[in-house]
Amino acid sequence: MRPVGFSTGALAYADFRRGLAMCCNKPVQAIELSALRQNELIPLLEALDTLDLARFTHIAIHAPSQFDPEWEAALGARLRDETWRGWPIVLHPDALYDLSLWREMGSAVCIENMDKRKPIGRSARELESVFKHLPDAKFCFDIGHARQFDPTMTEAYLILRDFGHRLSQVHVSEVNTRSKHDPLSYASIIAFQEVAHLIPSDVPLILETPVSEDEMEMEIAKVQESLPLDRIMVAW
Amino acid sequence: MIQPTSSLDELAKRVGGEWVHLRDARELAVRTRRELRKALEGLDSEDTSIIVSGSLARDEYTASSDIDWTLLIDGSADPKHYDLFGQVDTVMSGFAAKPAGREGTFEAMVFSHDLVHEIGGENDTNRNLTRRLLLLLESQVVGREDAYRRVVRSVLDRYLLEDRGLWRGSGHRVPRFLQNDFARYWRTMAVDFAYKLRKRSGKGWAIRNIKLRMSRKLIYVSGLLACYCCHLDYTPHQRRRLFNSTDGQKEIVEHMEAIFRMTPLEIVANVLLRYPHLDNAARKILDSYDEFVGTLADEGKRAHLENLIEDKTDSDEIYQRVRQLSHVFREGLIDFFFDPNSDLDTLTKNYGVF
Repeated sequence: MRPVGFSTGALAYADFRRGLAMCCNKPVQAIELSALRQNELIPLLEALDTLDLARFTHIAIHAPSQFDPEWEAALGARLRDETWRGWPIVLHPDALYDLSLWREMGSAVCIENMDKRKPIGRSARELESVFKHLPDAKFCFDIGHARQFDPTMTEAYLILRDFGHRLSQVHVSEVNTRSKHDPLSYASIIAFQEVAHLIPSDVPLILETPVSEDEMEMEIAKVQESLPLDRIMVAW
Repeated sequence: MIQPTSSLDELAKRVGGEWVHLRDARELAVRTRRELRKALEGLDSEDTSIIVSGSLARDEYTASSDIDWTLLIDGSADPKHYDLFGQVDTVMSGFAAKPAGREGTFEAMVFSHDLVHEIGGENDTNRNLTRRLLLLLESQVVGREDAYRRVVRSVLDRYLLEDRGLWRGSGHRVPRFLQNDFARYWRTMAVDFAYKLRKRSGKGWAIRNIKLRMSRKLIYVSGLLACYCCHLDYTPHQRRRLFNSTDGQKEIVEHMEAIFRMTPLEIVANVLLRYPHLDNAARKILDSYDEFVGTLADEGKRAHLENLIEDKTDSDEIYQRVRQLSHVFREGLIDFFFDPNSDLDTLTKNYGVF
């Protein structure tokens, strides 16, 4: 069975403890601990050993989506201290300044494809230049971003064709025209099904859909409908 | 040299073509687009692209050419788009030798929804058809290309993925839905030539006639060849793999998108390069086209053709010379498209004729 779970940031804005608590009695096996803003990261990292994460088969950390360039070295060093855990560290490529800092972290780094507002990392071609500098990095495929960039899902196909072998996890949500994450719509579900067969069954799905506690299970069902396991045809 | 990796350049080298007018026009087009890009910088966004069409997009730009442009919008409706349009218009007016055509096809805000959803049927107006097909056949972005690429891909997705015969057939893999629309557009241009003759009381007849025989015909030819490339660019083994899977469909859409990023002349040269036995046809096509572009680049000759009335054309040397060029151009195209030593004659009979 494919691990499915949530990003804590999607469930509770800037509050990983609350997000984690919301998953407590839900059928989730994966969690992404989110620190999307610079000031959220250190409190999260300092709390890691105190969190009850035993039930999760997949855990990831989402690093800040933007930060002060002068802080990059300290941020890299702080995250490098956590790589022993073997958890993917999700990074936005447009947030990085000194790629050599991140190259040293090898496969702990997990690069995410970007939404249409961003200057890089949106298409297969743009990702190619990122992975050229980070040859051992893993890949977090944000299927909502890929659909927003190209609603025909051709780019999603090209990204998975070229970088599927690096796949570590998938972010799932609807990304609206203002680049905000939303619960899945019918149009998203049928679009995602077009590339479902390219996502191996053991790759975890992380929902970034902002839903209330009552809506979590319904949203999981929608995500499972959008990426059904019976379509899988590849093993990268 | 035109461009180090250009098919036209390679073909020129092989067949010994000089084609200086094409080279000059290309250089001016590239320079003008670069200047436009700089002047328009910061106006567009991920949801808006500034598109040029016509000779500037085809790399056939001359000092007297007009600039056909549109503001393509693919995103939420925003009242500020009108202000943006005004800003772009101001910049463009400083570059154009004269205003764009009178039909309202250009110098306008164009919304992606009609281009993508209204293919065929009552709502596919002459203007919508023109804008959609020029987007594929002769368009270039000056600035951010996000919206442009999304819309081109969506339009191609519709033409290709909804073409049942393309995927279910077993013979030639030519996208007939797309080819039929190219043929419709070519015939629409020809019919509109007669319409404009009546509406404008014959004014501008000679220049429009020459353009119809040369540049308008060229874009149809390039569209037809692009459709043939959907078949010709793959081996039988590749066709079996690509045309029988959903992944293959995505690959084909991407491939066709790459073809339409070429100018019409590049598409023609790219196919001619594969057939050395057609070098004579290549010379007929490109020598005549080069001289046609040279005539339009000559401001005196161009102005003469713009003002020439139909009654005087029989005895007019400049008009008769360009008319003669159009006959050589047509002969070259017939040699090319009905060549019995390649698959081209079969493709033309099956897709270009019946």
